[in-house]
Amino acid sequence: MSAAEIECIDVRKVYRKDRIAIPVLDGLNLRIAAGEFVTLMGPSGSGKSTLLHLIGGLDSPTGGSVRVGDAQLERMSERELTAWRSRHVGFIFQMYHLVPVLTAAQNVELPLLLFKMSAAERRERVATALKIVGLSDRTDHRPNQLSGGQEQRVAIARALVTDPDVILADEPTGDLDARTSEEILTLLNLLNTEFGKTILMVTHDPKAAAHGQRTIHLEKGVLERDEVMPRKTVAAASA
Amino acid sequence: MNLRLLYLARNLTRNRIRTALTCAAVALPIIIYVLSTAVVEGYEEFLEQAARELRLAVTQRTSIINPLPAGHRPKIESLDPTGARLVAVCGMRWIGGRIENDPRPLSTLAVDADTFPTSFPEYLRSPDEREAWVRDKQALIIGRGVAGQFGWKKGDRVTIVPSVPPYTPMEFHVVSTSEEASDPLTNWFRRDYLEEELRKSGAPEGLVSFFFIKCGSKADLDHFRVAIDALFARSPDETKTQDEKTFMNEYVTQQFNLPRNLRILAAVTVFVAVMAAANTMSMNFRDRISEYATLKSMGFSGGIVFTMIQSESLLTCAAGGIAGAAVPYVLFTHTPMKNFTVPLIQHLDIAPAVCGQAVLIALAIGLLAGAWPSWLAVRLHVVTALRSLE
Ligand SMILES: Nc1ncnc2c1ncn2[C@@H]1O[C@H](COP(=O)(O)OP(=O)(O)OP(=O)(O)O)[C@@H](O)[C@H]1O
Ligand SMILES: [Mg+2]
Repeated sequence: MSAAEIECIDVRKVYRKDRIAIPVLDGLNLRIAAGEFVTLMGPSGSGKSTLLHLIGGLDSPTGGSVRVGDAQLERMSERELTAWRSRHVGFIFQMYHLVPVLTAAQNVELPLLLFKMSAAERRERVATALKIVGLSDRTDHRPNQLSGGQEQRVAIARALVTDPDVILADEPTGDLDARTSEEILTLLNLLNTEFGKTILMVTHDPKAAAHGQRTIHLEKGVLERDEVMPRKTVAAASA
Repeated sequence: MNLRLLYLARNLTRNRIRTALTCAAVALPIIIYVLSTAVVEGYEEFLEQAARELRLAVTQRTSIINPLPAGHRPKIESLDPTGARLVAVCGMRWIGGRIENDPRPLSTLAVDADTFPTSFPEYLRSPDEREAWVRDKQALIIGRGVAGQFGWKKGDRVTIVPSVPPYTPMEFHVVSTSEEASDPLTNWFRRDYLEEELRKSGAPEGLVSFFFIKCGSKADLDHFRVAIDALFARSPDETKTQDEKTFMNEYVTQQFNLPRNLRILAAVTVFVAVMAAANTMSMNFRDRISEYATLKSMGFSGGIVFTMIQSESLLTCAAGGIAGAAVPYVLFTHTPMKNFTVPLIQHLDIAPAVCGQAVLIALAIGLLAGAWPSWLAVRLHVVTALRSLE
């Protein structure tokens, strides 16, 4: 059980297209405490995914600094970032991105290939992760034998099986109906409350955003608004 | 099973038809490679054997199809009156031939009866065969392969129609099936019989297609190769003298450029296999971009993804290669096909070493085919890849 603080200082990200500079993030400052569940909102194209990618070490900022726990990401090489991701970050995408030819359990086991551990420990970790997401009875199903919500649960199990400090989710419920979305969000909430994970989740849906402790709004490359949410859903979830 | 291996295996069976077709595309050139190497090596072995016989071949200088006067023989013999260095001179006339109502061509040569046994000691091995050759003007030595093809045996009477004058059917008595000779397809008979038939039909006599000269040693071979041509220099019938290996190679390639064509064919098909396999690997890559991007986002390094793709490519091509090498190997060593004869080569020897090389070629195909997609995978930028899929 571990969590990390996230700190962005004066982060800039500029894309270049045909020699025209497109500034996406323009001096963004953000601090997320260890164990916080923050949701990120903003209009399409405002740079939400970009910010998530920078925090997850998938991309490098044009300027400024990004720190996650002890790691100062802008100073790390691509190789170092890759190794760092395997131990400290769990990603959840809108499109799940499961390997279609592997079963649920095998998909969850995949990131553990990068760890030295005994087969028994590996099995146990996979079983635990699947149990947390409530899919113990679907371990041998292939992705095409699962519903969208179940696929996303497998993706969540895969993100949490390595026990990362931070979970980054980019519109995890974007492709799901309201009821299934609610289940997934409750699950993320559980990861935050029970396991203390720092979570940053991008969403367009205010109802989804209400699951976090705090919502930040991104617009024109900077934080436009930062609001603390009442923790009603947490209470509802644990009730 | 280990998840890495399982993942690899699943990837191979992900699109079974695609994998199977790729294996087949690799297997085919491997089969061609193995067979052509066997043919080329067999042919080279045949030429080596020819070289060991210490014989020279004398043809007309400008072309093998122009005849030489039979009168050259005593002149050549006079170069060594002792007969120790220049052991025997044997004139030969090619008549080709076929049997009536059968389209299969024969390769038949009329030879000087007296010097043939000394010049070609690999024929007429037993005293009674030699005795029959001397006694019977219509004696015919047939190739081992010919005996098999036409069902001829010692003592048979056969009729051959020459492809050149006198064109009239000639009757022969089979005296030998040349079990120990390396050339299984040539038939030999006495030139005095041919001369007699030519005289009857009024066609020109006293001509030979070439002479074969048996030498005493390698040094003699080198000496007379030059001396004979010098003897006839500036005469109306100039000669070209070569050792038997060079002559045979020319004689065979004049009819079909076997080894060269086979090698080109093998090279072209290998090239096609590289393209087919590379196409498969590229399609696989495109189908799995999101998967590779996800793996990298989880912390899989470029090296691991590279290895995954290369392993898949190598395994697919190795499977094709092993199948491609096994087919001719099994066919020509463990089935009735092993008695199959190729012109000049008795039977195809599929050497295990050649099969090994073939599998290495298949692996090289795999390496090349996987090179581009695995490089793309190393370069794959997770964010760009995921964005392109949105
Ligand atoms: N490789 C790139 N080259 C140029 N511009 C880019 C590139 N990647 C992203 N952008 C631009 O950066 C901006 C921010 O993109 P980003 O995906 O972060 O937005 P977003 O807030 O996640 O939007 P959405 O809600 O639609 O997912 C967009 O205007 C996009 O066009
Ligand atoms: Mg986005």
